[in-house]
Amino acid sequence: MKDIMSIVFRLTLTCLMAATVMGAAFIITNKAKKHNEHVREERTMYALLGYSESKPAPVSIVLHQIYRYIITEGEVQFVSYLIPTGSGKSGAADAYSLVSLDLQGKMVDQKPVAIDGEKIREREDRDKAVIAVAGPGKEVRFADHTIIVTDNGKRIAYLLGGKFPGFKTFIGVMLALDPQYTMVGMEILEHEEDPGLGAEIEQDYFKNQFQGKAFTTLKGLKVVKEPLPADYQQALEGGLAEADMAKVMEQYKEKDIYALTGATISSKSVTDGVKGMVKKFAYRLDSLDKVLKEQQIAVSF
Amino acid sequence: MTNTKSIGQLLSRGILSENPIFKLALSMCPAVGISTTVMNGVMLGVAVFFVQVFSSVTISLFKDQIHPRIRIPSYTLTIATWVTVIDLVLAAYMPGAYAKMGIFVKLIVAFAIITMRLEMFACKEKVKDSFWDGVGMGLGFLVGMVAIGFVRELLGSGTILGYDVLGFKPLLFFILPCAGFFVVGLMMAFFNWIEVVYKQKRGVRS
Repeated sequence: MKDIMSIVFRLTLTCLMAATVMGAAFIITNKAKKHNEHVREERTMYALLGYSESKPAPVSIVLHQIYRYIITEGEVQFVSYLIPTGSGKSGAADAYSLVSLDLQGKMVDQKPVAIDGEKIREREDRDKAVIAVAGPGKEVRFADHTIIVTDNGKRIAYLLGGKFPGFKTFIGVMLALDPQYTMVGMEILEHEEDPGLGAEIEQDYFKNQFQGKAFTTLKGLKVVKEPLPADYQQALEGGLAEADMAKVMEQYKEKDIYALTGATISSKSVTDGVKGMVKKFAYRLDSLDKVLKEQQIAVSF
Repeated sequence: MTNTKSIGQLLSRGILSENPIFKLALSMCPAVGISTTVMNGVMLGVAVFFVQVFSSVTISLFKDQIHPRIRIPSYTLTIATWVTVIDLVLAAYMPGAYAKMGIFVKLIVAFAIITMRLEMFACKEKVKDSFWDGVGMGLGFLVGMVAIGFVRELLGSGTILGYDVLGFKPLLFFILPCAGFFVVGLMMAFFNWIEVVYKQKRGVRS
């Protein structure tokens, strides 16, 4: 009996010590880890826009973050956008506004939000600021995060992150669209599809099929169960000379998405998910732009 | 085992006469699984080195407090703690390497060589000796991983540390997992052969 007590005591003590050491290590490294994640995310964004370390983006390129919130008050729902209203130049003071629209796309109100550029990235801080501005008695829910890319004040692309159900769990993607909502590129950020089958969605020969699809094509995009043509596959994987590649990509621009072998459901969920994201985004941005123009709200993008 | 040993002896034992991979044949899974390039070998070797040294010192420090009946749980907890710490540090300060090695770093918890050194050495010996024993064993593992990685990378992809040295790929077979067994086996034979030759020569001389 005495033995047992001693064992229990010692094991508990060991666990406590281990927990202390691990906790301390976590606290020390957490900030750097978060920073790494942020850097990785940013690198993905620039890669989608066609920039890399060897070809850095010019300083005239600015990313403007837009966060969409759903605010519910009793039975009424509003869609609110947290948008930057400053000059947008790096170094200038950050200013943000929460613009609320009703479901018909009419503006309800606009309120300034007191938050700085560092804090707005952190979900918790951002949510708190929005709740404070929205006022009491309202349910605030974060919906999604979009980035508008401008070059010298002119819009050149949109980056939108999103999640949709895949075959097993949610698939997280980031899409790059040009101002006409033509697909520039897609990156799969997270998924848990089956290795060798559904997991092939992150391979170039699948995800690059979305490249260059115009908005009208995207709206009616379907999945076909046909083998991927050899020349198209080569072009998708970057195995051809640039001129040939452009030609082949042009040829297949209006074709549907070729399903992955043995992973039709994964292919279909990605296609439908992307389609839905782009369609909704186009509708929302058009209504937001309309309101911003009508109300003459100065924004940085 | 109670007689005191010099630092040199402790070090050379880990690297040569009791090399974890070639002599003790412990922790073969990583030796076979991920030693496809020199860089992989270095990365895992360094991680194991730190875990081994920290765990050896920790166990040696607390050896009188560890109840003999719960030795193994205590060792496992110690190793798991240090592996977690190293995992967090790598994730925070070496994100590029961590993206490749992350999964394998967590596996170090189950490496036989570390538990074995704690059970055989650290729980009986002084802290200083345990430290040098840990350093020796960690270096031995590192050397083994790098040696296997060198052979496999050179013969499999024709490169060393990513630099193209041969200009062609001699045998793709060497990067595949099964080749790990062949390389480890051949190198084990090679090490033993050197030892036999060395001993014979010395025997002749004396």
